[in-house]
Amino acid sequence: MSTVIECRALTKHFGATTALDRLDLEVAEGEIHGFLGPNGAGKTVTIRILLGLIRPDGGTATLFGADPWADAVTLHRRLAYVPGDTNLWPNLTGGEIIDLLGHLRGGLDAARRAELIERFDLDPRKKARAYSKGNRQKVALVAALASDAPLLILDEPTAGLDPLMEAVFQDTVLDTVAEGRTVLLSSHVLAEVERLCHRVTIIRKGRTVETGSLVEMRLVSRTTMTAELAGDPGALAGLPGVYDLRADGHRVTFEVDHEALAAVASRLGQLGVRTLQSSPPTLEELFLRHYGDELEHGQVDHPAVAPRRNGDGS
Amino acid sequence: MSTTGAARLIRLILRRDRFRLPLWWVGLVGLMAVSAQSINSLYGTDDAARAYVSTVGDNPALEMFAGPGYGFDRPTPGAVLVNETSLWLALAAGLMSVFLVNRHTRAEEESERTDLIRSAVVGRHAPVVAALAVVGAANLAVAVGVALVTLPFGFPAAGTVALAASIGLTGMAFAAATAVGAQVVGTGRASAGLGSALLLLAFVVRGIGDVRLPVLSWLTPFGWGIGVRAYAGERWWTLGGLVLFTAAEVALALWLSSRRDLGRGLLPERPGPARADALTLHPLGLAWRLQRGSVAGWAVGVFLAGLVYGSVADDVEAMVADNPQLADYLEQIAAASLADAYLATAVRMLGVAIGGFAIASALRNRSEEGAGYAEMVLAAPVSRWRWAVAHVAVTMAAAVVLVALAGFGTGLAYAQSSGDAGQVARLTLAALASTPAVLVMAGIATALFGWLPRATLGAWAVFALFAVVQLFATVLRLPHWVTLLSPFGHVPTVPAEPWRALPLVVLVLLGTGLVGAGLVGFRSRDLASA
Repeated sequence: MSTVIECRALTKHFGATTALDRLDLEVAEGEIHGFLGPNGAGKTVTIRILLGLIRPDGGTATLFGADPWADAVTLHRRLAYVPGDTNLWPNLTGGEIIDLLGHLRGGLDAARRAELIERFDLDPRKKARAYSKGNRQKVALVAALASDAPLLILDEPTAGLDPLMEAVFQDTVLDTVAEGRTVLLSSHVLAEVERLCHRVTIIRKGRTVETGSLVEMRLVSRTTMTAELAGDPGALAGLPGVYDLRADGHRVTFEVDHEALAAVASRLGQLGVRTLQSSPPTLEELFLRHYGDELEHGQVDHPAVAPRRNGDGS
Repeated sequence: MSTTGAARLIRLILRRDRFRLPLWWVGLVGLMAVSAQSINSLYGTDDAARAYVSTVGDNPALEMFAGPGYGFDRPTPGAVLVNETSLWLALAAGLMSVFLVNRHTRAEEESERTDLIRSAVVGRHAPVVAALAVVGAANLAVAVGVALVTLPFGFPAAGTVALAASIGLTGMAFAAATAVGAQVVGTGRASAGLGSALLLLAFVVRGIGDVRLPVLSWLTPFGWGIGVRAYAGERWWTLGGLVLFTAAEVALALWLSSRRDLGRGLLPERPGPARADALTLHPLGLAWRLQRGSVAGWAVGVFLAGLVYGSVADDVEAMVADNPQLADYLEQIAAASLADAYLATAVRMLGVAIGGFAIASALRNRSEEGAGYAEMVLAAPVSRWRWAVAHVAVTMAAAVVLVALAGFGTGLAYAQSSGDAGQVARLTLAALASTPAVLVMAGIATALFGWLPRATLGAWAVFALFAVVQLFATVLRLPHWVTLLSPFGHVPTVPAEPWRALPLVVLVLLGTGLVGAGLVGFRSRDLASA
């Protein structure tokens, strides 16, 4: 499998602000790659560099092995883009804009266009100024999905869509990947990423903090275990790789490193385990783990997940 | 009326326009200061004023541009000042009012920022009231500034106050008219276009009125403003008329604003085509599609203005016959006929105005970029070059057509009144002489777009400077080199003088060079985010 997108130590400054700080990103052919990070982390800046709209100050970015700035036009024949903030010419209709963008990309399949307009329940005769945010996004999505570009770059494409349309979007993206296309999906909808993406890259303050498949990420993360024991739960406390142990009578909850699982499991057996629950970390937990310090500073309010400090992992 | 929060909105507008407002003020008041100084030194005595009236002043054709010449029966320096400055400053105050009111009403509403504002504790009428309050204060500040820079030159105080007030109140009348238009049409572009069109229509109608049919002048705010007869036995009540007219427009705007949905105009939204026609599918076609509305508006405007200017040219010849002094004057300034001198001025002025079109149109690249539309096209396989050239190509093609139309209109009307059909082609050609200078204007705008995208407003400052040089060079007796700063100063004043190819060739090269430099700059810079 060849690499479609490759960024190495990508750096971009805007005046005194550092938008990208040696960011790495690699997207393989045929995968749906989730691109995650909080607001202002640098996702859109990276995408704009990949589109040749802005130029990096340092590092390298390649698209299909070529320079996105120098070879912008050639590369754009092979990609379709949905911006996060879809701004459309107010006096053109949605249908006209779909045709325009499709034609600029080298033509679009009329049957597919009609099918997508139907699936997304879009009225193509409305002027763009009369569309809601979600409908503007549908226009850009239909134009991108109706093209036969081998690469789709989608910047928070579902931010304005209702749940019904989001489901349509997910099905359509899975269809396109079945055709062998590659997708870079920047998103905040973690359930969507978990369902669609083969691999994810999590960035923070312009740096990559985590990248890999969800399976791999779970392997290097801690699993939460809850057990009811016949014996004394305190005996687990001293084991290497066990953290955050909380005992309530015979019931105990703790986190355990992946490498320590085998040792802990056998110790649990010795202690007379009656019930055992083991939950691998969700994407949300993986994601939030990297922003633990922000949680502690009260910048993010998310009571469902306890703040944890694991180093920043970069 | 519900104006809760208007005070806060006023502060917001002042914050956003903290550079824009002082720039307008300095431009308008500065122009008045130079004019007052110059007229005081050239026509500072009643004798000098009498000489002015008997030569350039009392000319029906020039009334078109200068006004009816109140006080010319007993000429004073003040009457000269009014004749030379009043209408142009009122026009500039009107432009300031149209752009500022639109910027803070319909354009703001189109951006959906007004939704956010109105969701706070802000009354339905507060945005319109705040915009009009700020623009009202701006017009007041201009009027006070105009009076303060004029008084030291010894012009009578009452007349100075009347002149200053007429300028400010005329500006305000157009501010209110724009507020009405902003309720009717659905986009900022349409609203600014409507306001400018009303302003120019009023200017031309008043011109016809002053030359042919005085009652027409009184249909326009300009007629009521200049009708105060500053320095010529003031008739203060005409200013009261302007105030009443403005108040009625404001009331209408507020009434309309509570009878429509936010974000919509009064005209219903109709569905458009579900498929794009072949034209819209290419960058060039798209650029034309986006600009054709304003090009059409300009085409009608310059053609009508040409007709009007051409139709009074014959009066100039008639005047020479019964004014030997004027004939002498003519012989001094040029060998050509007075009609030709007038016609050359008319087509050149229209050329300068079309220079304004060229700037607005070439800066479309910048506004498409700022709005985020450019990003959609440039993420497709369309090069920066191809995209940016499309808009400039539309600019130049449209500019050539507009210049030709202006000359065609002038020639058509003059051919009709003079019975010489050859004038149509002759004046169309004469007008086309402005094209290279218009190209330079597009070049300045494109160069700024490429290299200093945040300073594109500077193109308008340069344009204002060139327009002032062009309009006031004679009255201000500006040294020759100053007029040569403006590209229009290099255009031979055909048909009054013979064609000279060299300056035109140089202007074409300069304009092309500026456009090219701008495009090179654009290709090597980051695209701005929406």
